[in-house]
Amino acid sequence: MAQAVTATGIALDPAHPEFWPELGFDALYAMSWRDCLEPQTEALCLRFQQMNGLLPALDKLASKEAVTRIDGIEDALPLMFDHRVFKNYPLSLIETRNIPKLHAWLGRLTTHDLSGMDLEGLPTIEAWLDRLDEFGMLVTTSSGTTGKLSFIPRSQIEYPAWERSYMLALHASLGVDPYVDKVETFSPSYRGGHQTALKVPMMFNTLAAGGVEHYHTLYQTHMSADLMSLAGRMQAAEDRGELDRLGLDPALLSARQEMIALARRRPQDLADWFKALFEGCRGKRVKISGLGGDLLRTALDGSAKGVKPSFAPGSIAFYGGGLKGFKHDLPDWEAYVCEFFGIEKLGTCYGMSEVISQSPRCSHGNYHIMPMIVPVLFDAEMKPLPREGKQTGRFGFFDLLAQTYWGGFISGDEVTIHWEEDCGCGWKQPFVGPTISRYADKDGGDDKITCAGTAKAYDDFLAFVSEG
Amino acid sequence: MTEIREIPIVARGRIIRPEGEDSELFYGRGGAQFRSPDPHRHIHDLVLGNPVLLSDLMETPTSQIIEFLVEVGKRLRLEDNAFFQESFELGLLAGGLSEPILRSVYERLPAMFDGAVLSERVEQTIGSAYLDGWVPRENLEGRHRIRAVGTRQLHITAGNVPVVAATTIIGGALTKSDILIKSPSNDPLTASAIARTMIELDASHPVTRHIAVAYWKGGDEAMEQQIVRTTRIDKITAWGGMSSVKHIQKFLQPGLDLIAHNPKFSVSLIGAEALESEAAMNEAATGIAVMSGLMNQTACVNTRLVYVECGEDEDSLAKVEDLGRRIAAAYGTLPAFFSTPADALNLELEAELKSAAMEEDFYTVIGNTVEGGVVISRFPDRVDFYEQLNNRMVNLVPVADLFDAIKWCDDTTQNVGIYPESMRDRVIAPFALAGVQQFVPLSGGDPAGVYQEFNTNPAGLPHDGIEPMRRSVRWVIDHRPARGQTTMTAIAAE
Repeated sequence: MAQAVTATGIALDPAHPEFWPELGFDALYAMSWRDCLEPQTEALCLRFQQMNGLLPALDKLASKEAVTRIDGIEDALPLMFDHRVFKNYPLSLIETRNIPKLHAWLGRLTTHDLSGMDLEGLPTIEAWLDRLDEFGMLVTTSSGTTGKLSFIPRSQIEYPAWERSYMLALHASLGVDPYVDKVETFSPSYRGGHQTALKVPMMFNTLAAGGVEHYHTLYQTHMSADLMSLAGRMQAAEDRGELDRLGLDPALLSARQEMIALARRRPQDLADWFKALFEGCRGKRVKISGLGGDLLRTALDGSAKGVKPSFAPGSIAFYGGGLKGFKHDLPDWEAYVCEFFGIEKLGTCYGMSEVISQSPRCSHGNYHIMPMIVPVLFDAEMKPLPREGKQTGRFGFFDLLAQTYWGGFISGDEVTIHWEEDCGCGWKQPFVGPTISRYADKDGGDDKITCAGTAKAYDDFLAFVSEG
Repeated sequence: MTEIREIPIVARGRIIRPEGEDSELFYGRGGAQFRSPDPHRHIHDLVLGNPVLLSDLMETPTSQIIEFLVEVGKRLRLEDNAFFQESFELGLLAGGLSEPILRSVYERLPAMFDGAVLSERVEQTIGSAYLDGWVPRENLEGRHRIRAVGTRQLHITAGNVPVVAATTIIGGALTKSDILIKSPSNDPLTASAIARTMIELDASHPVTRHIAVAYWKGGDEAMEQQIVRTTRIDKITAWGGMSSVKHIQKFLQPGLDLIAHNPKFSVSLIGAEALESEAAMNEAATGIAVMSGLMNQTACVNTRLVYVECGEDEDSLAKVEDLGRRIAAAYGTLPAFFSTPADALNLELEAELKSAAMEEDFYTVIGNTVEGGVVISRFPDRVDFYEQLNNRMVNLVPVADLFDAIKWCDDTTQNVGIYPESMRDRVIAPFALAGVQQFVPLSGGDPAGVYQEFNTNPAGLPHDGIEPMRRSVRWVIDHRPARGQTTMTAIAAE
């Protein structure tokens, strides 16, 4: 098959989108999406051909939608997975630790044959995820507002492109090449585990820092997947005085107590940790990586107490997760954070657990999508919006870096995509920005009142401890 | 272009229309737009600052209040009441009910104002004697006399069925109370239409003089802070749970009694006998279809979850599927005056059903969100999205023992449908303790008959586990001295 060559003379091989990140972000952003569309489309069609018949979840959807082959992006739209697909298992499987059924369910989402994996002696979900890692999978979990865990069925096959594209996003948003320029990294977070927000940094921040010993976190523990997914049920059982009747591993119960205690003292720990960091790294070049809210809280606290770091020039910070409702009255909180930490660059990306390639923010504050993702916007009736001008709708995409699971996904985010590549920062490709909102947050804006339904149980515990 | 409708403030016998600067535009559901007087300018028209001004209503005998309400009821006919016609039209646009159902709800509103019904509502709850005078206790020579005294009430009403507006107005009148109704955006006019009908009939009647109706956006702090004060309101009745009370929560304080009609949903318990014969299966299916289908599953009385006593083996699950198919088919037989197919797919719920259908080991989906249907769990647990079940869609959940369903029942569980009757007495007590509010029959087999049975509740029954009428008044004691003491004081005075 002939390689598609873009106007700038760069080849995007449709047979191997996993190699596209190797071209570097400069080259990828020099291309117009219009020139990438052909290799992207071809790559998408190939992915479908390769997976057809090997991925039960996709086969099922394809047969329901009567899609047997795809020749263009439009043909593939009915095959996009809803955000529910990665958590489409009964919660009772987790409550009863029915690992075989959960395992069989996950097996339908990946082209890997998981049936050969030994399921003996797996008392917890966490242990199951550990063993999946040993088996060659790299499943990450994320929890939405309901607390129910999504399982993203990635594997070692995706790893190289995953790493490349992650480093690319870091490089593009911070201006520092993490392969070349290793910077001691500090993150006020938990450490390890399978949660996307912890597992991904463990894989890649350690690499960017120059090794695990150069990646420092506030806590050396993490919250187990079991604890995260059962937090709601455990709280309900505790309220009834029946926590012991859930038949849970005693270790899980004590882990829960520890997490609650940890979360209570986290503000103090955070302040102490940063203070130690400021003192220990005076004059050193560092990278700080964390939630926007934590960075701002630290800056405000530090300013009030007169504690201020003096890192070496060239220090950088990268944040994710936004402010998560952290209230402030600053006109430009990011400038305030940069000023306080004495850093030159505060980078961030737009992404989600379900996509491999993150979209880095440019100098003009927009998030540019790399060609490894084919973005699609949908209107309220789930009709695709035209790829022109500026469009606002539900964000969906085909992730061409997904090699062993289906990368077509419809998110819960409402975004604006600018298709005319008129950002002005110098980068091309469609860009998202500047605001991103979640459809789930829009509920409740309606003033209607009915007698039906139940008040959604707000899970304090999860909100409390999952912040890190 | 969307027509902008006018929603006046009804304030104690007066109608205040939006005019000039005293006007605010609101956006309702379904693209509805309406204009109201600026409620911030009318706080004093809306609240009764001085509770003693309730004496006119206190002195009006209950019998006269009932007579007045009966006259009002006669005028609440959709065919010739222009206020009602307008309210009906806006209800269609802004609410969630289809035309034939909303029409039949409106047609049945006058019956709520029937004299015998009103009288029963008072006598079975407070008792008119307590409202009209001081009632002595029989012991201690009747020295303790008790009276039910009207209060100043704020009602944050639900709009999914206009019945709520009518019952609120009737309740206010029968408890001789001053009521302020904050209309919901999904039924902005029914309460207003009834109040304006009262004004036409007799603007100076004490009942008319103690009703105010207004719309403001829920969460308007400037409004709610002005209104929700112990000096202005004694009782708040809030429908809709957190979404409606979260705003006023911060103004709550001791002295303000909150009567919360939290959002509820209903369930059914289906005994193993239901799967044993074709006749039983059909009868149960019809009962479930009626209980979930009436008012198109927009209300709290609708069953959304159906717990079926059976095993998890293939044979048992096949029977549950059979029951499910019969329920789906039964939706098609329901009369249009209480249940119809939906106008359009419910996209969010469809997406849930679609992903459930992808997991055939776990779920079976029959039907859709236009015609109605069932989603069957193939293991003993509810679907994650049970709170979203709507458009005549129920979740059938197999349970080895019906008592297993207790763990899913609490104070948010309103009605529990029962089939067959033979197991009723065996099961209801623990469910009552768990928090449910009413057990209802599903038997009969004929849709109209089952529906009729649902509508035979006598007036004045408890609601949501409480007695709202008794809770809405203040119970005042007049403790008089013993007879001997009275005499001695009299002598001393001489």
